[in-house]
Amino acid sequence: MRRLMYEARAQLASPVRNPRMATVIGRLLGLAFLLCFGTGLYSHFLQQPLPWMTFPTRPAGLYQLTQGTHIVAGIACFPLLLAKLYVVFPQLFRYPPVTSFATLLERASIALFVGASLVEITIGLLNTYQWYPFPFPFKQVHFALAFVIIGSLLVHIGVKLPLIASHWRAAPTAGPEERHPVDTVAEDTAAVALAATRVSADEGMPRGRGLTGRVLSYIDAAPELPARTSRRGFLATVAVAVAAVVGLTAGQTFAPLDAVNVFGPRKKGVGQQGVPVNRTSAQAKVATAALSADWVLTLALGGTERSFSRADLAALPQTDVDLPIACVEGWSQMAAWRGVRLRDLVDAAGGSPGTDLRLISLEQRGGFRQTEMGSEYVRDPLTLVALELNGETLDLEHGYPARMIAPGRPGVLQTKWLSRIEAIDA
Amino acid sequence: MMTTPAPALPSRRMRAARVVLVAVGALGLALGVYVLVDTVALRRLPGVALWIGAAIVLHDAVISPLVFGLGVLTRRAGHRLAGGIIVTVQAAIVLGSLMSLLVLPAIAAQGLGPKNPTILPLDYARNLALFWLTLAVASALISVWLYLRTRRANRRPVRTQS
Repeated sequence: MRRLMYEARAQLASPVRNPRMATVIGRLLGLAFLLCFGTGLYSHFLQQPLPWMTFPTRPAGLYQLTQGTHIVAGIACFPLLLAKLYVVFPQLFRYPPVTSFATLLERASIALFVGASLVEITIGLLNTYQWYPFPFPFKQVHFALAFVIIGSLLVHIGVKLPLIASHWRAAPTAGPEERHPVDTVAEDTAAVALAATRVSADEGMPRGRGLTGRVLSYIDAAPELPARTSRRGFLATVAVAVAAVVGLTAGQTFAPLDAVNVFGPRKKGVGQQGVPVNRTSAQAKVATAALSADWVLTLALGGTERSFSRADLAALPQTDVDLPIACVEGWSQMAAWRGVRLRDLVDAAGGSPGTDLRLISLEQRGGFRQTEMGSEYVRDPLTLVALELNGETLDLEHGYPARMIAPGRPGVLQTKWLSRIEAIDA
Repeated sequence: MMTTPAPALPSRRMRAARVVLVAVGALGLALGVYVLVDTVALRRLPGVALWIGAAIVLHDAVISPLVFGLGVLTRRAGHRLAGGIIVTVQAAIVLGSLMSLLVLPAIAAQGLGPKNPTILPLDYARNLALFWLTLAVASALISVWLYLRTRRANRRPVRTQS
């Protein structure tokens, strides 16, 4: 067994697989994880705020930025995590595998860390495709695993801290192979030098006997690449991979990259009135109620109820705002909205300033049928009960007869097919 | 290799930082497990464990050996060529595979029929094919350039090393 593990590690040895490279890639991956964690928590608390929480309403595209970052950093985790695992892969074959209870715990936490990270980014990606082939609920597992991952990340950093610290900066002196210009002579020398450091026959497995031996001698015969070429090639591959997966998808939220958005799950401008749709009127089963002639928006504020027909709302002073719809799944779309300022409507209905509101949609079921809006959004002059979108009457898919649009909130809280607005009594 | 213990002296600050990191990390881990058990139905938890286990097996027993085999095969196939060309070809294959890993599920989800036409509206299969084509053309161009550069360098008289 010791021999087998030794052989595995020797065969997997590569100029790329060293602590310095693990530190370099690990830093980037750690940064991406922290970005995902921070923006994820922000999105979580926007949707399920603790009682004392208030949120900034400016910049108006704040959620577009934070959630766009969440998805972009999450996609960048694919090449970074795979690169990190590639660099440390020989560690899997450490022998003896476990020397003490502490190393058992450490290896177990690494296994959990790796498995949870792979599952987290995979289900996150699938969620952006709105495809759920896994046997558990997305939102709860994605949230819980985030803490598992950040926790095991901190444990991992704690365990490896001396190693990380000593490889935080590159070694000041260049290795001997660094001083040669790239030409075949230098490459040959480096290859010979590397080959000399390989497993000697008495340490590794015997060669040439049986299938294993033949496979091993086949692998032995594969020429080594010069160390510098390997390292630079690896770093260049990781850099191009991150640029490609981010660059070719981020156009779904970041307008300048729209032209090269070839793999994003959403495309700017695709949808009714140029805006993508998340929940359709058919899914929400609202068409009949929404298109009914006796639809009214009821405001229950300060003990009185007042109802507004669509004509009543259209007769009130109208305001134009440009605000993005920014979805939890990472896409966003700028749009021009026209409607009644929510704070004017609240004043007209006899509400007091500074109340939090409960927004209720026509839909009968669904997690966001009923949501809450903090007073900071209610008082914001950009918050509208919107009647028009991009110069046309709001499409049914976008929330006709009236929907909420507020700065810096996730799309799921921009309640469509509004039915009732209530003050939340403190 | 990574098994070598770090030469850095374990200073008092270093030890304190490690203790804090491991302690806070363990708390975070425990919180995650608590949230998982608290919010996810008990009968769903085996599915979570299965996926985590399967992810480890898939990476360690499928993806890693494939990448290793790819390295050996490309190095053997290109043994007469400069290292830069082999690395270029390897990079192209890795990039194409990575993008396929991300985009094939999108194609599958598209095949199953998205919930509305604004989800997955692009022709992902065609775009993925074009991506592979671009990689092939770009890596071929870079390889030719590297080949010509190496040949020119070899024709020049050998420079002495300073």
